[in-house]
Formats: sequence, C-alpha cells, structure tokens
Amino acid sequence: MALPLHERALSQDADALVRLTTEASDPGRDSIYDLVAASKVLEWPPTSAPGLIPNRALEEGEQYRFHFNMTKCIGCRSCEIACNEQNGNPADIHWRRFGEIEGGAWPNTQRSYLSMGCNHCLDAECVKGCPVEAYIKDPATGIVLHSADACIGCQYCVWNCPYSVPQFNPERGVVGKCDMCHGRLEDGLEPACVNACPESAIEIEIVTIADWRKDYAAAESPGMPAAGHTISTTRITLPEAGAMQLERVDLGHIQPEPAHLSLVFMTTLMQAVSGALIFELLDNCMSAINLLAMLGIASMALGVSAMHLGRPAYAWRALKMWRRSWISREVLLYTLFWAGLVALTGLSIIASLPASRLHSFVDTLPAVRFLSLSANLQVIGWAAAILGVGGTVCSAYIYLVPARPAWNMIHTPLDFLLTTALLGSLLASVIQVAAGWVTSLACAHAICSPRPSFNTPIYLVLLSAALWFLNQVVRRFRLSLSRLFERRASASLLGTESLQAILFSSFALVALTALFTWARLDVVACFTAMIAVLLTRYLFFVSVVPLNMALTFVRGGRH
Amino acid sequence: MSFAKQFVTRLRRRLGIDILREAYRYAEDARFGKISASRVADRWVKTTCGYCSVGCGMEVGVKDGKAVAVRGNENHPVNRGKLCPKGLSEHHTLTAPGRAQQPLLRKQGKLVPVSWDEALDTMVREFSSIQSKYGKQSLGVIGTGQLVTEEFYTLGKLVQLGFGTSNFDGNTTLCMASAVSGYKLSFGSDGPPGSYADMESADVVLLIGANIAENHPILCQRLERNRHRTLIVVDPRVTKTAMMAEIHLPVKPRSDIALINGIAHVLIRDGLIDREYIAAHTSGFAEFADYVSTFHPQHVAQVTGLSEETILNTARAYGNAKAAFIGWTMGVNHSTQGAVTVAAINNLALITGNIGRTGASPFSITGQCNAMGTRESGFTSSLPGYRKFELPADREELARIWKIDVDRIPAARGLAYPDIIEGAVAGKIKAMWIIATNPVVSFPNYEVLEQALTNVEFLVVQDGFHPTPTSEFAHLVLPAAIWGEKEGTYTNSERRIGKVNAVVSPPGGARTDFDIFLDIADRLCVRGELYPGWKTSQDAFLEWQQVSKGRMCDYSQFTWQQIEDEGGVQWGGERLYQDGIFPNFDGRARLHCVPCEPFAEQPDDEFPIVLNTGRTVEHWHTRTKTGQVDLLNTMVPHAWLEMNPADAHRLQLTAHDKVTVTSRRNRIPNLELRITGIVAPGQVFMPFHFSEHNSNLVTLGAFDPISREPNFKQCAVRVERTIFTVFEHVAKNTRTASRDAVAE
Repeated sequence: MALPLHERALSQDADALVRLTTEASDPGRDSIYDLVAASKVLEWPPTSAPGLIPNRALEEGEQYRFHFNMTKCIGCRSCEIACNEQNGNPADIHWRRFGEIEGGAWPNTQRSYLSMGCNHCLDAECVKGCPVEAYIKDPATGIVLHSADACIGCQYCVWNCPYSVPQFNPERGVVGKCDMCHGRLEDGLEPACVNACPESAIEIEIVTIADWRKDYAAAESPGMPAAGHTISTTRITLPEAGAMQLERVDLGHIQPEPAHLSLVFMTTLMQAVSGALIFELLDNCMSAINLLAMLGIASMALGVSAMHLGRPAYAWRALKMWRRSWISREVLLYTLFWAGLVALTGLSIIASLPASRLHSFVDTLPAVRFLSLSANLQVIGWAAAILGVGGTVCSAYIYLVPARPAWNMIHTPLDFLLTTALLGSLLASVIQVAAGWVTSLACAHAICSPRPSFNTPIYLVLLSAALWFLNQVVRRFRLSLSRLFERRASASLLGTESLQAILFSSFALVALTALFTWARLDVVACFTAMIAVLLTRYLFFVSVVPLNMALTFVRGGRH
Repeated sequence: MSFAKQFVTRLRRRLGIDILREAYRYAEDARFGKISASRVADRWVKTTCGYCSVGCGMEVGVKDGKAVAVRGNENHPVNRGKLCPKGLSEHHTLTAPGRAQQPLLRKQGKLVPVSWDEALDTMVREFSSIQSKYGKQSLGVIGTGQLVTEEFYTLGKLVQLGFGTSNFDGNTTLCMASAVSGYKLSFGSDGPPGSYADMESADVVLLIGANIAENHPILCQRLERNRHRTLIVVDPRVTKTAMMAEIHLPVKPRSDIALINGIAHVLIRDGLIDREYIAAHTSGFAEFADYVSTFHPQHVAQVTGLSEETILNTARAYGNAKAAFIGWTMGVNHSTQGAVTVAAINNLALITGNIGRTGASPFSITGQCNAMGTRESGFTSSLPGYRKFELPADREELARIWKIDVDRIPAARGLAYPDIIEGAVAGKIKAMWIIATNPVVSFPNYEVLEQALTNVEFLVVQDGFHPTPTSEFAHLVLPAAIWGEKEGTYTNSERRIGKVNAVVSPPGGARTDFDIFLDIADRLCVRGELYPGWKTSQDAFLEWQQVSKGRMCDYSQFTWQQIEDEGGVQWGGERLYQDGIFPNFDGRARLHCVPCEPFAEQPDDEFPIVLNTGRTVEHWHTRTKTGQVDLLNTMVPHAWLEMNPADAHRLQLTAHDKVTVTSRRNRIPNLELRITGIVAPGQVFMPFHFSEHNSNLVTLGAFDPISREPNFKQCAVRVERTIFTVFEHVAKNTRTASRDAVAE
C-alpha cells in the first residue's frame, strides 16, 4: 500500500521527512529493564514547568508559531472542543482538527495523533490567492489573519491551502480559520487549545523567520502534507520510535467535493462565448443580433458566477488584488471582455441603423461614429476576444493549485482552451442559425440587415472535439497511474459507478457531437457538446481530492 | 410586515450583506479573557462534572438564566483547570433538544402528556396494586450512579422502607460491583484505598484493563506529572493508554489472573515481598504461596501469550518499586471472574506492602460521577454507610437512627440487577422502576432484557431525556432534572466528595429526582416517617451525615460549604489502611487463592472471533447525553468494528466495508470496518455507546457469581460482510472508490 509518506520519502530528502527528535527521547521509556536491574529511579532533568506562551516580546524577524508535541498528546481531543467553544463555531466546523496516524503490527503497533489549527505559514497560499486581501500575514506576530468583513466567500483559500485549514461557513457566507487566538495572545493569555490541553502538548513559541526558511524540517510529520510548499511554521515533535511507519488512518474516507454548479456553468459558458466571438470574427459575420445573443449568454454566466460567492453583493471587490490573485485577474479580464461585448453590441447596433435615424445624435459624437466603422469594430472585436481568452487562461490558472493535485495538471488549461474551441465554433454556428431565423421573421427591420451565412469548417469542430476527448482520456489515465495519492483517489472517485456513468455519458455525447457536426446538424451538435462539457466540468469539481492533514477514521460533518 | 421583514433578512443573508457579525462577535469575559461573545457569562457557578468518576471541578458560566460555557476549576485538586471534551461541552446537555419535559402516561398504547399528580397517583396505585397482588417483592427498582448522594440515600429508604421491596439495585452493578466485591473479599469492606496523588508519587504504575486516555483522560496528567514512574499497561488492545506506557503487556483476553498470580509467584520466589507486612496484617499467606507456586513463568507465558522474560521483568519492576500503584477499570470488572480478579490484585499489593502508603495502593478507577456515592449511601448491595445486611448490630443501629422497627430492615440483600431482569422474564418481578439509566443499550444480551421490559405489567422510566431506547418501553415516563439543575454531592474514585450545584432550572415540567421521591413518599404516606421535615436535598445530607458518622465513609466531618470551598474533601483522608488494620473481625486482610479460568464463551469454528467492547473519548455511556451534543456527536457519529489486518485478509474484507457481527444470540449489521493493528488477530473490538449499533445485541448474559457484574468483555462472534439492500448500494460505491485509491 503506497501512502503519501512513502511517496514523499521516495521523491524528497527522507531526512527531512522523519526526524528523530532528541527532546522527545525520554530516558525512562526504554530503560525499564535498567530500572529493574538497578532497582533505582532514573534521574530526570528538573522540571522547569515552562510557560506555554512566550514570556518575551517578539523581535525583528521573528514570529509566533505552534509547537505540537506528538509524544505528549494522548488523543483526548479537548483542544478541538475548546477551539469551537472559544470561537462559537457550528458543530461541523472545526478550526482545530484532530487526526490519527498508526503503523506497525500488533502488538508492536504505534499510534500517534495530530492536532492542528492553522500553520501560519511563511509563504501562505491563502494570502497570495485571496482576491480581496481578506488575509494578511500580521507583520507584528506573523499570524495569518483573516477578515470576515473583507471576505466575499469565494473559497479560493480553501482550494489553495495544502492543509485544508480555511473552512467555509455557509451560515455566514464567509470563510474562517484559526487565528492563534491572537486577541488572547495580545492580552498575555494562551490560546484556547493551549489552555485546554491536559498534557501541555500544544504551546506557542517564537521562531526566527530567516532560520526557519532555511531549515523547516521540524515542520514535517507523517500525516501532514510536505511543509515546503507553504513553509508551515508549526514545529512538530515526533516520537522517537516508529515515526517512519506511521500512516494515515483516514485514507479510505474520501468524499466527493462540492460541485460548485455556478462555476460549472460560468466556466463553460464563458469559454463558449469567448470562443464564439473568435469564430465570428474569423468568419467576419458579427452582427448586432449575434452580439446581443453572446452578450446575453456572457451576462448570464457572470451573474451566475456571483452566486458562487458567499457574499454576492460584494462580488465587485474581487477585482482588488489583480496584481497577485488569479481570481482577480479572471474577474478583471472577463469583466473587460463583457464590457467589450457591450461596446461592440452597442456600436454595431448604431452602425446598422439607417443614417437618418439618430443622425443628430451620432453627429454630436464623432468618436462613436468613427468606432462604428466596420474595420474598427473588427479591432474592438479582436481586443474583446483576446480579453476573453485571457480570462479563460486566468480561469485555468485558478485551478493550478498544488493543494489540489488532480487540478494542478496541464490538462486543466488544455481542457479550458479546447472547450473554447469546440463550444465556440459550434455556438458561433448556432447563433448564426438563430440569427437567421430571427432575421427571416423580422426582416423588415433594419437591425436585421442580412450577413453572409456562417459556416464553421467541419474539420475544425471535429479536430477540437477529438483533442478535447483525447485530453480527457489522457487525464483520466494519468490520474490512475499517478504516484500522488490524491490524484489516484480522484481517479478512484471517477471510477465509482455514478461518476463513471457521467464520464462515459459525456464521452458518448462528444462522439455524437462529431456525428451531428458531420451531418451539419450544428444546433444539435452544439447542444450535445455543451452537455458533455458541463458533465465533465461537474466531474472536475466533485472528483478533486485536496491535500489535507490526517484526520480520524470515523467522523461526521464536513471537517 | 413580519413576512416582509423576514424576506429582507433572508435576502441580506443570501447576498452576504449580513454575515451574522453579532453572533460571531468576540467579547471580553471578566474572568477568562477574550472569547466568543456567545460564551461570555454574567456569573460563574462552581460545581463538579457530571460525567465520569474522575470528579473534575468546574465552573459553569450563566447568562440570562442559561448555561453558556464551562471552565475547568484551576484551583481544584483533581483536575487543576483541565477538562476532557465531554466536560468542556457539558453545558450543551442542559439545552439539548431531547430533554424530557413532562410526565407521559401510556394510554391506548400511546404515551400522552399528563399532570404530575396523575402521573404519580397512577404510579403509586399501579405499584401498590401489583405488590398487593403478587407480594411486595414483585417490584424491582433499578437505580443509577448519576444521582447526587442525597437523592440516592433518599431513594434507598423510599424503595426498601416505603415500597418495602429489597429487589433494588443500581447500574453500578454493570460497572463497579466487582471492585466492591473484591475489596470486601480482601479487606472486609468496600472503599478504594488510594488517591490520584498516588499516581504522581508511585514509581511503578500498573494499569490493568484500564484505558484511562480514552475513559478518564484527565487522570493522564497526574501520571505525566510523575517524572519517575514506569507505566505498565495490561490490555489485549494497543489502546491510547498503552501508547503512554513504558511497557505494554498485550495479554490474551481474560488471562490477567494468570499474570497477576505469576507475578506473585516470582515475587515470592525471588524474595521481593514484605514478610513483615504479611505477618502483621494479612492472613492466608501459606496457602496463597502454595497456590501460586504452580504459576511459574513458563505456564503463565503460555496462558497470557507474553514472554517469560516480560513476566519476570514486570514482576521485578513491581517488586523492586518503592511504591507501586495498581489501577484498574472495566477490563477487570466486566467479567464473570471480576470480583476474584480484584482480590488477586489486592493480593499483590498486600504481599509487597504496597497499600496504605504514599504512592502505594490497589485502586479501582470508578465509572460514573457518583457510583461511589451510591455504594456508600445506597441501600442496594449493602446497608447505608457500608453496613452489612447480615449483621444484626448494623440493622439495629440504623433502625435506631431512623426510629423504625428493626424488622423493617431486610436481613439479606434482594435481587441484583441481572436477577431483577431475570425475575421479570420469569414473572416474579411484575413492576419495574428504572431511574436515570438506559439498559436497552447498556445491559448484555438485549433479547432477554426486551422480554423483561415487555413482561412487566407496569414500567416506570425516570430520566432527564425522552425518548431514550428504554423510555420507549415505559408505561410511565417521569421527566427529571439532570446535572446542572440540582444540588447535592458526588463522590469520585478517590473518595473525594464534591459539591454539585444547580446552575439553571430544569426544563419545562421536569423536577429533581429528590422532589419526585418525596412526592411519591407523600402518596405512600411515609414522608413524615422517613423524611421528617425534609424540604431540600440538604436535609438528606444532614441525615446521611448522622448515618455515616463513625463509619469508614464518614461524612459527618464536613458541611456542604466546606466541601465546596475546599474543592472536595476525601472521606478517610488521603488513603485508607495506613495503620494496616482492616475491617475484618481480626483486623487482617485476606489473601485469596484465585484460579484462572478460561472465559465462558470460547471461540469455536462457528464463532471463531472474540468480541471485546469499550468506549471512545467523545462519548459517554449510552449517548443519551453526548449524542445530543452536536459537537461531540459530529466527531464520532456512529460505531465501528476494529479488526486485525490478518483476519481481514483471511475474511477478504477491506476497510470501510459494512460488516455484520453475529453471536449465538443476535447480530449487529452495518458496522463500519476498521482494519487496524490496535487489536490482536482473532479479536475484534467495538464501542458500546451506540443504540443504532448496539453491541449488547450480541454480548453474553453471563454474570459474576459474587458481584453479579456482566461479562461484557468477551464473547464469541463471527464477522461477515453485510448484505446490502439496493438503497445502500450507491453509498457503498463511494467507499469502494476510496478503498481502491488506498489499495493502488
């Protein structure tokens, strides 16, 4: 049975993985037989009963961190309850979580426990990814703080954290996480977990940031994702014996992740629309009515995507961190794309109006008149298309997070771009057909000035469909064969009866798409392709298995 | 208007304009610093935890008449501010949705709300008519270790002198009866000789069948504070406690007597015994030495599965210790040989003089918060104040204090708990009153119990919760106050009497057990005689002080106030028997020759696996309380079965499979399988807390002949994959996926 620990032991420096800490060595533990022989008590270092929080102020270049002493933890879970009581959280949201790891064979079985809040990492991904700067790494204490007021509930931090620390609270619509009880620390009081532990297994320490960046091996532990990715600051004291063989006991407890249906629709539709715009530009068949249709779809998609947020009213805030957050960039580019579509639509309506109408209006705005020239519309169109594709690229980058290995593959951007091609080409065709119908129904109207009928080259659609399909199949195989547990677990989820049925249905629908395209039944083909993409996108979201700390064998709720 | 307002509120929530800032606000608690505003209290009430017998001191925060928070009492000598997860969330039990709030009487097959008057009139009328028809003894009463001592004392008089039946026992018989009997066998009286403090000063601590990390987690800090100790844990499983130990002795099930006798053998052989102590304070040594001479290490190794070297080393560690402590719990007690195992443990302490000294004691770690109080003040297996039914002087003394005719005090114990149940099956017990316990989940071999509960003509269940699996059988349900709603005392494992205070009022129409008892006494026309002038539970305490005065468990030395102020007071001082004088007629302790017999139901071809049962730290007993604390129940919402990888491989089972455990008696379907090295090959383990997966469907109804304690810990079973219904199929697929991922 290959486990993450083994994989890491193979792929990384094993020394950093399993440390035999000297302080965990306990002179009495192995020396019972000495005791028996000598009939005397061993000498212990005098207990200094140290405080569990630092007794001095932080200096420049230092921060607070947790120290978890695995050799002291008896697995009572008092810390977990104390944390929930401290923060008044619902029963199924645990900012401090508890896990079990075990190894060896009876009777030489080793059992240890993990108790973790937030690791207050040096390179915290939650901070980097947040589109609204709800997270800050407190310059004074190094604590990673989250502001519920700033948060818009996009949950990107949930995806980014390799320890699955931030948790979305649906009751509030925002995320929350351990803040090391910084309010208590400020008052010179220990955090709730530290206070509750009957064995003093949790304490707050001071760490020199530069030193820790150089050597963070003491953050590594069985049952924990590799510390190097974000440089977790939590120091873990491991048991002297048997640490190497400790394995997670919760690996069989893999549940599908939330489907995020609003994102399923948003990504699919935005990719389709941005693709369609390109094909219309290529075919030089942009008409006001076509653009209106595309604008309608894009507006709906963006509207739906706001519903993904815990706080849709504050969706606009997502633009804030465009300098570093892929979410902000996606939102920015898609918004600009949408604005481009609005402009294009408006201008082409104006361009298609008979000169007599609104004549005076257009005259007063020479710029509008200038922009409405066909050549200039093309320029604006291409600008919008580039923004659209750019948005899709940013959108793909959102999912390229190491904490979610099944997403963090080249197949994600490939999928998004191939979807753009496949759905774009078909949608352009469908819009053209629809526009044709509308025109024939209301041809008296000037807006419906006929354009040359559009014809997507069949080979282009077929090629996109084939590549899209190939990408899915290769991804599925690579997941199965991966050395990473989380990817294999995703593959296994995809192999369950219900999810596999969905996967095969989408493949069948793509095959039908090819057939219908061949038969030039573009409307039907577009419909089947759209369903196929929506289904695989659904699978994309539900089948991802995030990195996480080891949890318990039996557990309820979402934690 | 309100509809519009509601709509606006919901819209604001949905749009994220309202993020419940007020509900999730932090505030400053005057005593404990920054915390969620929802946990900030107006006042803090000192009390003692109502779960287990560790007896942690705590303070409950009250705001606007509601309990909102719990804190460990930092000045309390037992727990020094620490609490386990159950204690830390105990205030939630007071607001649990499943609290019983009004008396319910079964009419035309349905439980319907009635007034207290109707409820108690009916109860007394039914009991009286059954008793007049079938005799006084046809009423069986099963109590608990959950009441305050004052209530238990009151109840004893009510049952034995008011209702006039001696068929009265507590759920403590499912729990500590073997310790009681074992102490009586060796020392002549019940009473745990040591203190928790001994765990801090002993240089060898031997825990037998005691998983304190899971069941008494707050005791672990006492062990950890002992920097010199060598901890030896005897347990067939690699428990959380075994992981704390320097030496874990993974004995075969029920081979502990052989181990203990084997240790005694080595101690005597190697001269590691205290001959002076033996000569001065014990009797029966010659026979004992002769008896254990056959338990040579080679033989013991065979029986226990340990190596000879391990047995020798363990014996020498114990024998060479300046002070050695032996603690035990249910691994010892839950057995048909429980009482004699306790005697065997006492033997070890006696021959090495490891009793009555600092750090040296045999010590039963009790289960329920007030099991000790019931043992002392109860009127079940003995007369109040550790008096004996069979001693005329004891009966006369009580009759004098109570100002009643001595003939009214029975000269022999009535039926014990399992015998009351069997009596009901046999038709001898016709009415039953079950108080604050849930036998449907806690009593072995469920089918027999079900017969008993359906056989009786009138069943009264008095509990803080309804429905419970047991109250569903009741003809009458009496809603009672629970911990936090009444005043009195609990006595913990180390004989420490702790004050328990009312923090809030009972919900709805629920009343304290004390008030219910007095009301019943009124209707039986014995209130004036048995409880002259009593109004509150303090009146019971005052009389109990007189009854216990001069006895070993002497409560007359301290008032309620003193008990509260001092963080509890130990009767008998820090430890008993410091003078080596034991309450046998000759002042000596008895050494007993204890044979090691195989457990009753050995595995065979049809049922090849031994089922062991136990607990998990997140839950308490049958989950009537912790099942309603969302925080705890979410952590562990269902039971599981632990199986060794070797057995799983042989049975072609994989982790998370749903399995069925079948014994000769019944089956438990749909248990989630955990494949783990925690359990030995040939053994499986499951927690007993869950009525949904009731381990007592399959456990064996065999009882200790002395203590009457059930043999919960070993029975023969087989394990198979559960046959799935169509509806369960989809869920199973998801699990298969997870498993495949692990397997790949």
